[in-house]
Amino acid sequence: MIHQFDTVIVGSGGAGLYAALEASERSKTAVLSKLYPIRSHTGAAQGGISAALGNVEEDKAEWHAFDTVKGGDYLVDQAAAKILTEEAIQAVYDLENRGLPFNRTPEGKIDQRRFGGHTRNFGEGPVRRACYAADRTGHMILQTLYQQCIKNEVAFFDEFQVVDLIMTDTTCNGVVAVELATGELHLFAAKAVLFATGGFGRMFKITSNAYANTGDGPAVCARKGIPLMDMEFFQFHPTGIMGLGILISEAVRGEGGILRNRDGHRFMEDYSPTLLDLAPRDIVARSMLTEVRAGKGIRGDRKIDDYLHLDATHLGKETLTTKLPDISSFCQTYLGIDPADSPIPVLPTAHYAMGGIPTDVHGRVICDGQGTIVNGLYAAGECACVSVHGANRLGTNSLLDLVVFGRRAGIHIGDYVKQIDMPQVSAADAADAQSWMARLTDGSPGPHGGRISEEMQTLMMEKVGIYRTASEMAAAVDALQALRERYQTVRVQDSGKQFNTDLLEVIELGNLLDLSLITAASALNRQESRGAHSREDFPERDDDRWLKHTLAQLAGDIVRLSDKPVDTSIWEPKPRTY
Amino acid sequence: MKNIDITLKVWRQDGPRDRGRFETYEARNISTDMSFLEMLDVVNEELTLKGEAPIAFDHDCREGICGMCGAVVNGRPHGPERGTTLCQLHMRHFRSGDTIAIEPFRAMAFKVIKDLAVDRSPLDNLIAAGGYISVNTGGAQDANALPVPQENANLAMDAAQCIGCGACVAACPNASAMLFVGAKVSHLALLPQGRPEAAQRAINMVKCMDELGFGNCTNETECEVECPKEISITNIARLNREYLKASLLSPFK
Repeated sequence: MIHQFDTVIVGSGGAGLYAALEASERSKTAVLSKLYPIRSHTGAAQGGISAALGNVEEDKAEWHAFDTVKGGDYLVDQAAAKILTEEAIQAVYDLENRGLPFNRTPEGKIDQRRFGGHTRNFGEGPVRRACYAADRTGHMILQTLYQQCIKNEVAFFDEFQVVDLIMTDTTCNGVVAVELATGELHLFAAKAVLFATGGFGRMFKITSNAYANTGDGPAVCARKGIPLMDMEFFQFHPTGIMGLGILISEAVRGEGGILRNRDGHRFMEDYSPTLLDLAPRDIVARSMLTEVRAGKGIRGDRKIDDYLHLDATHLGKETLTTKLPDISSFCQTYLGIDPADSPIPVLPTAHYAMGGIPTDVHGRVICDGQGTIVNGLYAAGECACVSVHGANRLGTNSLLDLVVFGRRAGIHIGDYVKQIDMPQVSAADAADAQSWMARLTDGSPGPHGGRISEEMQTLMMEKVGIYRTASEMAAAVDALQALRERYQTVRVQDSGKQFNTDLLEVIELGNLLDLSLITAASALNRQESRGAHSREDFPERDDDRWLKHTLAQLAGDIVRLSDKPVDTSIWEPKPRTY
Repeated sequence: MKNIDITLKVWRQDGPRDRGRFETYEARNISTDMSFLEMLDVVNEELTLKGEAPIAFDHDCREGICGMCGAVVNGRPHGPERGTTLCQLHMRHFRSGDTIAIEPFRAMAFKVIKDLAVDRSPLDNLIAAGGYISVNTGGAQDANALPVPQENANLAMDAAQCIGCGACVAACPNASAMLFVGAKVSHLALLPQGRPEAAQRAINMVKCMDELGFGNCTNETECEVECPKEISITNIARLNREYLKASLLSPFK
């Protein structure tokens, strides 16, 4: 079946919905989602969205931009960071005007709280910058944007999995998608396509990401020869619930929660004397692992799954129930403990991809180090890399990234689609996708994908995790190549056409394997430590050789690496201490 | 930690037009640390290895926020625990030898897609009938020009917690969506930016609910008991007040 829309948005989280909202003001817009829109993972974001409103203490967008650049270990494109933080203020007001119930100060203003790495006056001390709706900020943003899209009569194609892009040279003409309910392939001809498919934390064993976070957009782009940028930078959030990876928001530390080792010692005093527990996430996660390796974890056995304590007992029941209600109920549900009475067992969990599909500040996809644009192709949100997060993202900057760059991409698309004609697509454009689906479902005997998935996740966690070395990563690259070979023999076991969840899982596994390989190869290539990328064999940041973005292009079984300059036009890179 | 053996009676239905039936499965050696959905994963893995179709069920975040999961477990939407979604139900609440019946959310407005997966898009249609603010935010004014007391923000936030899972509909003997609509209407009516359209919104959403085949509210309060976000039925009372005011006083009908 062939559909025609001016604009096709793939993914219905915060970035996709904001882009759809803007694009639909001026163009016929469809949103394709493998889930239902309000189920997207934006909804799980807890803590807040930062903007220098200055409602509770003095604050400036410029300080916010500086924190973002420094937090990203100077791999942030600085002009983009300036746009992010300046437009943050309008973005928050827009959301509140559309009905988002923010927490309020006693005078009725939007309340703000502290978050890691956000400081006043270029690093003097923590600042209250995060606007929040209890610990359900992402949920509220998602609901608000969805309501607005429905109002604008955006066409929603729910439970459609995109499997291919339709391209001629450097122009995108649409996408090919599987309708999960029927197993049929659909072609969508479009003047503009935007990927907003979110993260890919599912490549790791312990992750805060939902099952759907399998990087479908970046993987489809990679297979079309579009290089992915800075894939070696993957953020581990310091406080995942032990064993589960489910997130305990940084807001707990923002409200005063403290990390302690087995001696009850507040160990962040040793690593980050100024910001303590509110140092950026890469630093806290590394500090935690260093404690564990030194035998100071709670069990003390130095094993990688040993844990530490997040102590919120001194905050009192009142603060916990009014400002962090979901955290309290999480702890009771998953651990059977009350955080008011006992500390929460935590360890770092794979959380956020800084890298992804390279774009400019209008969300247009870039396909080389010179900044050449792919016409009609856009990306926004976690799957994209502008780059405003550089080597490490600050807390609350992800929701901000979604709304600011989702909105900018949507506005640009609205202009762009006015200038060009509807591309022609035919059934032949689905040929590649068709043969892939046919192979997966040809009924021949083959292994189930489950074991490959398990091996990939363990491999990535152990060898391409928080601490990395050349030998481990080289082994990971080889092992991933072997897994990709085995994947060729995997077959969908469920022969039913309708709502075939097995087919979906096999498609997703293919995507994760491609992205894992690109991540491992990019990480092996970068011989320095910067932000979330921490090499034991190259422990220092090396600006002379590595102050540049990585571009990694998948060419069959090889990953070709090149680079792209970083915009450092405002602040000179400096050592990053807190 | 210990392991238990349980018997599952699971509703299997190939598609919306299939009649459907209960099938019995034995789940052996299930760790009590597992979540309910992990237990279903294990059952599905065994089914797949035997060449049988796995049980289709909706799920995603597995941390109770996405609203995707949901099935009726032993007669109760999201299972026996209060204030949790199905993905937050753990096997430690069951005992070895238990028989567990698992069915999809049933309501005239929700059609079964396959097995335990149901189409909850009628809830989206309800939002389309008015569950939004239509002010043009082109050059949004400073939000601080419109102060909101924290008490109202709290009440609005409690209502806005709804994750749209549909448990309230499945729990209601009349398959009414009044708690869902009440939560949406309350959230927006409690904020100044939502006030101007409050009357029209209440009338349109209630009308749409009737058209979609949801039933009426007869104060059974089952919805409040089963809501995983513990949204209070006072939101239905607020909806009724808005609706009454609107039908008596406003020009909208």
